[in-house]
Amino acid sequence: MANGALLLQAAVDSLPAYRDFPLIGSRAAIWIAAEIHLMFAAFVLGVPMFAVVAEAIGIFGKEQRYDRLAKEFTRLLLIAYSATAIWGAVLTFLLATLYPQFFAYLTAIFGVSMWVYVSIFFFESFTLYLYYYGWDRWKDGRAKIGHWSLGILLNVWGTLVMFIADSWLTYMMTPPRDVTPDTVPGTIKLWHAILNHTWMPINIHRLIGNVVFGGAIVGAYASYRFLAAKSDEERAHYDWMGYVGNFIAISALIVLPFAGYWLGREIYQYDQSMGITMMGGFMSWLWVIQAFLIAVLFLAGNYYLWVGMGRIPGAERFRPYTKWLLAVLVLGAIVWGTPHTMIADSRELAAMGGSHHPFLGALGVMSAKNTAVNLMILATFLSFLLYRRANIRPVVPWAQTGTRIQGAMFAIAAGVVLFYGIRGYFVEAIVRIGYSVYQVGAVLACILFVTIIDVLMGRGAQSLGAIQWGKMPPRSQYALFILAVTFTWLMGLMGFARSGIRQHWHVWQVLQDTTKYAATPALGQAAIMISVCVLIFLSLVGFIFWLGGLAEKSTFVSTTGAGKEAQHVGH
Amino acid sequence: MWATNLKILGVVLGTLAFYTFLANKIPQVQSEVPRALTLGADVTPEQLVQAGEQVFTGIGGCTTCHGLGTRAPNLLTDEKGQGPIGARCGKREPGKDCKSYLHESLTQPGAFVVPGYEPIMPDMSRTLSPQQIWALVAYLEAQGGTVTVTASDIPAESKLTPGASPGSSGSPGVAGGSTDPMAVLRAAGCVGCHKLGDEGAAVGPDLTHVGARLSAAGIREAILFPDAKITKGFENFAGIMPKTFGDQMTASQLEALVRFLAARK
Repeated sequence: MANGALLLQAAVDSLPAYRDFPLIGSRAAIWIAAEIHLMFAAFVLGVPMFAVVAEAIGIFGKEQRYDRLAKEFTRLLLIAYSATAIWGAVLTFLLATLYPQFFAYLTAIFGVSMWVYVSIFFFESFTLYLYYYGWDRWKDGRAKIGHWSLGILLNVWGTLVMFIADSWLTYMMTPPRDVTPDTVPGTIKLWHAILNHTWMPINIHRLIGNVVFGGAIVGAYASYRFLAAKSDEERAHYDWMGYVGNFIAISALIVLPFAGYWLGREIYQYDQSMGITMMGGFMSWLWVIQAFLIAVLFLAGNYYLWVGMGRIPGAERFRPYTKWLLAVLVLGAIVWGTPHTMIADSRELAAMGGSHHPFLGALGVMSAKNTAVNLMILATFLSFLLYRRANIRPVVPWAQTGTRIQGAMFAIAAGVVLFYGIRGYFVEAIVRIGYSVYQVGAVLACILFVTIIDVLMGRGAQSLGAIQWGKMPPRSQYALFILAVTFTWLMGLMGFARSGIRQHWHVWQVLQDTTKYAATPALGQAAIMISVCVLIFLSLVGFIFWLGGLAEKSTFVSTTGAGKEAQHVGH
Repeated sequence: MWATNLKILGVVLGTLAFYTFLANKIPQVQSEVPRALTLGADVTPEQLVQAGEQVFTGIGGCTTCHGLGTRAPNLLTDEKGQGPIGARCGKREPGKDCKSYLHESLTQPGAFVVPGYEPIMPDMSRTLSPQQIWALVAYLEAQGGTVTVTASDIPAESKLTPGASPGSSGSPGVAGGSTDPMAVLRAAGCVGCHKLGDEGAAVGPDLTHVGARLSAAGIREAILFPDAKITKGFENFAGIMPKTFGDQMTASQLEALVRFLAARK
């Protein structure tokens, strides 16, 4: 084993440290390859999750249209899988040729996990082929359950693949503290390297993020097919599909910040200076842009719902509330987008005695921001609830009481959020951080219990008319496009944040980047790179969708079926 | 359909352009790679303070927390009526003068935490070199106090890339601690037996192209454990090369020498 370690060390030492890539440079080349690979990977990991859920609804809820929806999602996956693998290979070859010593360093630690990764990817691919091509063959009885199990297995493989890849990148961010620049990489135990500080938080964050991303891309696909539809039936089908994609994306988005908090806390616990660099250092303005993007997501998602209420009989009852919801969202976005600290040069810093103005202090502080974002989440949830309630009138004897309880739950949750938001200004930072847990807890509890009450109240509810699927103005579909572009861009931005906090280190404080590209670029340059990556990705996705359309006709079902479901469930 | 496609393209490109524009309109800050700091034996207090200020407002990231008065104590301005840090540092911790206290705060921040604050200060020796840390101490002393840091406090270590082993500067090493590989080769007596270009004797293997036949690890092993592997043709000289270079050189000197020799292909 020691000989092996020495051999690996010798191999690492004898390689040239770096090579450059023509025209765009090695960093840009790696950036593009990694980013596009990651976007495709997020898509092919996110879509199977709700394909399986949709298939389950089809099986157990006896709703055929969900089964067809799941199949259509899966059809999109086939070509996307190839694209993921191609970009993964591009990334690997670029890493091996442009950063050979760093790549050898990683292989010396993670070599075994790389073999496992490839094996699982192999199983995953063939499970996908079985899942898709066996759809019509195993469509009844036990065979259908077996087919559904294949979908679950597909998700298991996909999750394992992601977890393994996450261990490599999280090791780069947060290597175990006993690893130093002098540690021979071959002597680092694999499991020790995998179980680093940010591995599990990133796993969970990405798992949820993939669902959001997959939902957004499917929503964009549906909106494209809606706009291109030649018949009312087809339009109705893709209108419904777009709604499902948006519903999934926004629902998962609501949970995503909580996973983000966990990740942020782990980064701080691992290394204060890394956390400070991320939130208060040169990256502080990144969070202002992030706040803006999330505000766009909330506004576009809600706008789509509000426009969608126009095709629901009975929804006019709730229309007056939308302006208040809009006000909460806009105010929340303004508060959330306020920067914590203004950028100042060294002379200004000296004059102020620090990074903050001596009188004004910090501007956008976490107490206010957490309050704003939690109220935005509550407002969005209320939008969903109104949408869901739009065409039904509950008939259970306790309907009025139930609605009042729901209203009280909203009021209590908002009260808790506001109380701790204000109180946060008067306590120490360490106490204030803990308040976010109470705020999040109140919002989540509200979402959970209000939903339970709503489901129980909706039993046997009187229908005010079927949803008129397909009767959506085209502008609503462009909102879905904006959602998809914004989600993709946001993913690129957060990838930059995660990777950028390592600054000039390949492996934080262990292996330094000594290329001419070692300085971490400013946000403007990063934004150009992100936009280029998003454009390449969306162009390829557009091509894949076009190919998907060539391969098979769309799977829309008759409006009679869609309308029939709508009478009961409201969506 | 073409009109719809163009509209979609317009929405996508417009959204991307808007986000890119927005990100380019906000203040642009690039995270620079810390530059090597060379402070000679004749460094003046003014030079130290100037270097320390650059670290304080730049790579050190100190201003992120110090200055608000809630997350960490103010350093450049008054802190609860005690004046700026240079005026109060000598009275903070019993038995410690200003210089020792500031150095401890930077390299062992957990040793003494100012009452009323959380122990969130990172160990700066993980990211800053000893020279940068001493320059920082001098700069902080200058805030209302007297600079007592001198060149004798600063280790001779000249390579200041963060991540370099902080402990490596404790031993003086050969050649006065210099990491110039030729100076180390001459001071350690290597060229007494090894030829390197036009310099040296031909008792041991020629080092002129040693990088072509030995990896960096191989060279390192040959310096630290000279008898582990004997170069073909030199079997009769086994045991002659001293085994004490590992003790004589600092870690940085050894690594500088290994890199230098490994590059000689």
